[in-house]
Amino acid sequence: MTTQGAGETLAVRSIDTQTLLALHRKMVITREAEQTWSDMLQKREFYLMGHFGTGQEAVGVGLGHALEPDDYLFPTHRGIAEYVGKGMAQNDIWAEYYAKTAGPAGGKGGLHLSDYRLGLIGLVGSLGADYAISAGAALSTKLRGSDRVVVVSFGEGTSSQADLGSAMNVAALWKLPLIFAMTNNEWCELSPASEHVCTPFVAPRAEGYGIPWSVVDGNDVVAVYSAVRTVVERVRAEAGPYFLEFKSYRVGPHWSGDDGSYMCQEDVCAWQERDPIAACERRLLEEGMVSAGEISGIKKAAQAEVAAAIERARGLADPTYEEMLAGVYSGAPAGGGAREVS
Amino acid sequence: MAEMPYAAAVNRALAEELARDERVVVLGEDVRAGMFGTTSGLVQRFGEERVINTPIWENGIAGMALGLAITGMRPVAEIMFADFMYLAMDEIANQIASWTYMTGGQTSVPLVIRTAGGAGFAIGYNHSQVTEASFLGPPGLKVVAPSNAADACGLLKSAVRDDDPVLVFEHKFLYFVPQEVPDEEFLVPLGKANVLRSGDDVTMVAIGSMVGKALEAAGTLAADGISVEVIDPRTLVPLDQETIFGSVARTGRLVTVEEGRKRGSVGSEIAAEAAEKIFGSLKAPVARVAAPDIPVPPGPLAESMYVPSAERIVETVRRLVG
Repeated sequence: MTTQGAGETLAVRSIDTQTLLALHRKMVITREAEQTWSDMLQKREFYLMGHFGTGQEAVGVGLGHALEPDDYLFPTHRGIAEYVGKGMAQNDIWAEYYAKTAGPAGGKGGLHLSDYRLGLIGLVGSLGADYAISAGAALSTKLRGSDRVVVVSFGEGTSSQADLGSAMNVAALWKLPLIFAMTNNEWCELSPASEHVCTPFVAPRAEGYGIPWSVVDGNDVVAVYSAVRTVVERVRAEAGPYFLEFKSYRVGPHWSGDDGSYMCQEDVCAWQERDPIAACERRLLEEGMVSAGEISGIKKAAQAEVAAAIERARGLADPTYEEMLAGVYSGAPAGGGAREVS
Repeated sequence: MAEMPYAAAVNRALAEELARDERVVVLGEDVRAGMFGTTSGLVQRFGEERVINTPIWENGIAGMALGLAITGMRPVAEIMFADFMYLAMDEIANQIASWTYMTGGQTSVPLVIRTAGGAGFAIGYNHSQVTEASFLGPPGLKVVAPSNAADACGLLKSAVRDDDPVLVFEHKFLYFVPQEVPDEEFLVPLGKANVLRSGDDVTMVAIGSMVGKALEAAGTLAADGISVEVIDPRTLVPLDQETIFGSVARTGRLVTVEEGRKRGSVGSEIAAEAAEKIFGSLKAPVARVAAPDIPVPPGPLAESMYVPSAERIVETVRRLVG
């Protein structure tokens, strides 16, 4: 891959069958869930618009799966791969998407998913707001002497938000355990990246901040997983940020309401040939890790799990008006023992 | 009870809270040196890990405070000028305000953002506004505006101990005025107004730097036989409506006084609430004394004409009662 500047080449590690199968299952369930979601929208059976990540599942799954549960991950708005990668259950995802009180955020997250048990501590909708928030979380980690790392995930479109440079500056200045994980999918909403970003790759900019960086094949789930494991170990040991750019391609539209007609179909077809799930299937089969029957079994199991989670979510209790109003504030002050004067 | 300037009272509050709770950290631009003295000397006592100089990045100061708050710390962030709060608007209005609700209470957001507003240096524009009125809307925030040194200390300490995000609008012209502050440790509760002067004819709700002028005006009006009750709400969100509207129910007249501009002011919100809730008690229209709807002009003369004066407050009340 030709980039500007040197960057680092991260050796792809060998991977055991169990891990590769786990990555594969997570990619498959991500695609099944997003496809089901898209189908429901087509049939007008679901209210929630979606930004799907078809073709780039390897990035979110490889990234999320490589982290420990108590590492913090600030995901992108695109698809559910990062949530699935980090271990979020379909039941919890769909309970939130249906805005049901049984969800981890009591149905108040919706598209803005969070699951504090898994280090998924919030999704921002004004893209780029999480550069600063993740820097704060990384500063907190450092101040508390924890060995957690923080990952902020974003796309090349959001790289134009000015806070990225500011966050890289403080991360390098304070040697924060913060990993900038950027997916370059060549599309910034409805416009090609060439109209948004002045260079083919964004990661080389990290060099100006003294931050090491690498560009990784984002359609190879093993390369993604391996790169993140390597970088996390380094960040934990050395304390200091790292910038990873995952090269991929968004083969579908920006959101459920557009048809993607502005995209070049030749490019789409070329990238569909490099589909990360198909590639992973080939490897599993070629290396004799699974049989063809097991591959189709994984897909069927994923479809069943998604269908069951949606069915369950539909049956869950909706919030009452009172429940909708509650929770703007956290409750009683913590108090501290000093007397109150008026 | 010793006298100390407002800025020193803020400094004392921060020192006491840093000493009390090791999760408290202070961050902002130049907080180690301290532009107005509110944070000076803290780094020598508590160290660089507790008193953190940030780059010039207001949205980052607010956003980093949020990141700290949702991962176990209790940050007290400083935005050097209240005008610069607008540079941090996305983090404050979109993220900090919503985070507790959006996560269904999986976390709270125990952070404080302090800032310094107000005229007094005749610089105009981006170093002279009070901006608290712009922060009444986003649900999830608490907003305080201390008008004196004791409240600056006691409200800030309560804000640090509160589990929700609290914006503290200090006033830089008040920073240097020595005032009495209790010697022993004390808190001033959030959400509780302070009745500074009792009266029967008019309820005057004054905010921040205008409290002193409201009291001056009340003194002048008393000589005319007009009895004014002066209330400092201290906390703007949540507003102590019980105290304010209880007073209006007795006096039948309501005047709000603030340094900020009239359109979309704190007084506008109080007036609207009064119209909805206690219209029947009002003997006269509500009056808002506020700055004109123009940018803060430069120069000492223009600034003195822009900021409401005690004379303007007196004239307003006379019209209302007469």
